[in-house]
Order: sequence, then structure tokens, then C-alpha cells
Amino acid sequence: MRTVITWLLCSLAAAMPATAAELHAPKDIAAGTDFSITVNGDSHGTFYLIGPATAEKRSVENGSEISIPGTDIEKAGNYQAILCSDECVSTEFYVHAAEADRLSLLVHPSRVPVATTNAISAVAIALDRFHNIVFSHAQVDFSVNSNNGSSASHAQPTNRGIAWIRLTSAAKASSAKISAAVGDTTETRVVEQVASEACNLHIKSYWEANHLVVQTDPVRDCSGNNVPDGTVVSFTKTDRSGKTTVDAPIKKGIAKAEMPVVGNARISVASGVVLGNELNVGGAR
Amino acid sequence: MKRSLRLLLAVAVLFVASGYSAAQSSPSVEFNAANAGPRSVEDLTSQTVPRDYAFAWQNLSQALDENRPGLLDAYFTGFAKSSLEQRIKQQAQSGLHVRYTDHGHKLNVLFYSPNGDLMQIEDDAQLEMQILDGGKVIQSQPLHVRFMVLMTPGADRWMVRDLESTPAPRSGE
Repeated sequence: MRTVITWLLCSLAAAMPATAAELHAPKDIAAGTDFSITVNGDSHGTFYLIGPATAEKRSVENGSEISIPGTDIEKAGNYQAILCSDECVSTEFYVHAAEADRLSLLVHPSRVPVATTNAISAVAIALDRFHNIVFSHAQVDFSVNSNNGSSASHAQPTNRGIAWIRLTSAAKASSAKISAAVGDTTETRVVEQVASEACNLHIKSYWEANHLVVQTDPVRDCSGNNVPDGTVVSFTKTDRSGKTTVDAPIKKGIAKAEMPVVGNARISVASGVVLGNELNVGGAR
Repeated sequence: MKRSLRLLLAVAVLFVASGYSAAQSSPSVEFNAANAGPRSVEDLTSQTVPRDYAFAWQNLSQALDENRPGLLDAYFTGFAKSSLEQRIKQQAQSGLHVRYTDHGHKLNVLFYSPNGDLMQIEDDAQLEMQILDGGKVIQSQPLHVRFMVLMTPGADRWMVRDLESTPAPRSGE
């Protein structure tokens, strides 16, 4: 009887499939940290790790743990760990970003007219040292320093990894350094605040070798900043021969053009959408 | 006889090609820009972003299945591209490939920068993923994944700059 029972038990054990292993990963894993996957059961076989930037395959021997080095999980996201011997078992785990350690800073535009409301935008993206976006809250310290000595700062928490601000440009033309800092990391971009449109555009004329020379006074914006050299000023002459327009760039703050005149003429000036004064001049001398 | 065979062959090639094209067709993408801010999404951008994101996933699926990192060039840039290139390189080294069946994406714009140079989008994606070692399927499962996506405008299209899955949605979500 005992022999029969033993035989039955042995047959039953042989007929039952081997218990499949189970994989268990920790719930909280930060990018770049070493950890282990616990194996309940036979861990002999081929191990696969599939993640956002990972596709690893290796053989594993019997043991209760499979070690994963931090270098295999530097990218945040969902991972699949699979162990295959006779059959495959798997587990999923999520790797979150490490501490905010870097910033990506976008500042636009690189040149902006002075005294323009909300003309500059700065967007900072908080990243960890593996360039994962840090979705948990981080404090970004924005600061603005002009080369005329003025400065301002503002702290802004990130929302899903992003913090942003809008700025009004200064009244005086200058370079502004816009910085964003998180932890020990600071990123800086430079914005040139340049003169706005010309204001009170004024021309005068004089004769030079039978040609009428028309020139502007120093061209400035409404805040008194010199309009940059290269900005085009258009002189328009209307006389008996018709209408003629000459475009001249500002050089050393002044735009100048020579014009032949037949009889009486009217001369006007414009720069962009700004109109200046008009001159009435007599014929050629 | 020869002519009939040629005709039959041509039909077979067309049939196979059409099947292949259907398998690699771009997935359906729903786009919601109602929550975008601080800038409102322009009408044209509302058309181009989902179109380009669909093309990006089409290329991504093919790149992961065929281990061809060059397919990422058209719609991926920055860290998204470098991470996926690394994964494909490792897949090729290990003899693995991953096949996605894409059941569609629901995009929700969370952030559109004041200057229109950066868009953050949440993607609620329904996928089926098969992991293959050579020709053997070692894992096959449906996936409901949320991705946080950063897209930036390129010369003539929007590019995926970052593609990061977020913790798996809880059941019932």
C-alpha cells in the first residue's frame, strides 16, 4: 500500500508542470539607480529588459534576484522585464526622473524693441542629469540683468516640468541677460533691446554742386534711443518730372540722399510706418 | 502561359504591397487644443501637429520593427531621437525587435509657448506590443500608455523632441 501511495505521489509530481517563476520589481525607481528584480521560483534562463532607450538580453543563472545596473535605466518611462526558460514571465515597472539638475532654456526673441509689453518670453524645462523631464514640482529662479545695471528676479514653480515668464523690454536700449536657475545649474541667454520705431522724424536740405541733398536729423525712437544703423529711411520727391523715391540706410545715426530737382519740388520722409516732415524746395541752382 | 504567370505575379506583388502599406499606415490621432495655453493653437497648427505626430508614430513603429534608426530622422529630434536610436541599436545587437499595433492616440495640448516654438502634449495611446527574439514572440500585450510629448516646429513640420511615458494609468482611468 505504501509503495502504491509513493508511486502515485511521484507520478503526480512528475505530471505537474514546474512552478513558473514570478518577477517583482520595486515600485519606486529613480533613473540611473542600481536595483534588483526579485525572482520567486526558478530564475534560470534568458532575461530581457525593454525600455525607452534599452533593449537588453542576457543569460541568468539560478538565484533569487536579477541585478539591474543604473546605466540600464537612465531614461525615465515604462520598462518590461521578461524572464524566459520553458515559458516566459514578465513584470512592468516605471522609472521616474532623478532630481532636477539641468535646464533647457528657450528665450525669444533675440532682438526686441525697447518698451514693448510682454515682448520677451522665457521657457525653462527642468531636466535631470540624464535629460529626463522632471515632472515633479521644481522651483525655477528667473533673473534679468541689463548692462545698464538694472536687474529683477522672479521664482516660478514648474508645471509638468515647464516654467515660463513673459517680460516687458526696458525703456533704454541695452543687452539683457536672462537667466534661469534650478539647484546649482544656471542657464543664461542674451537679448538685445534695440531702439523702437523712429519718432519725430525730421529732414532738412541743402544744395551741393547742383544736387539737392536731403538728410535727417539724428534718428531716434520716442525714448531717445538711436535707431540702429542700417534702418532704411525713404525720401520721396514729387516735382514736374513725377514722383521719385530713394531708400537710404541710416549711417552714424543719420540718413542722407542726393536728388536732382526740376522746378519746385515737395520732399517727404518715412521710416517704416512713421512719417516725418515735408519740405518744399525751389528748382536747381 | 508566361504572360498569365507574369500577370499573376504582378497581382500578387500588388496585393502584398498593399497589405504592407496598410500595416505601416499612420495611426488615427485625435487632437484637443482647448486646454492649450498661454498661446492659442492656430488653425493650421491644429492640422499639422496631429498629422506630423501620426507620421512620427508610423515611422517609429517601423523603425522598432525593422531596427532601422534612419527612419527616425524625419520626425524625431533631440533626446527623443537619441534615446530611440540607442534602443534600436541595442535591439539589433540582441537580435530583438518590437512590433506595435497602433490603435490610436488622443492628444491633449497642455502648453503652447508664447512664441509658438514649443508644445507640450499628453498622449493617451492604445497600443498592442509584441516583443520578438528573432522570430519568436516572447511577450505580447495590449498597452494603454500615457506619453508626455514635447514637439517643436522644424522647417516644414513639427518634430517630436521628447517622448516620455508617464506612470501607467490606474484601472478605470
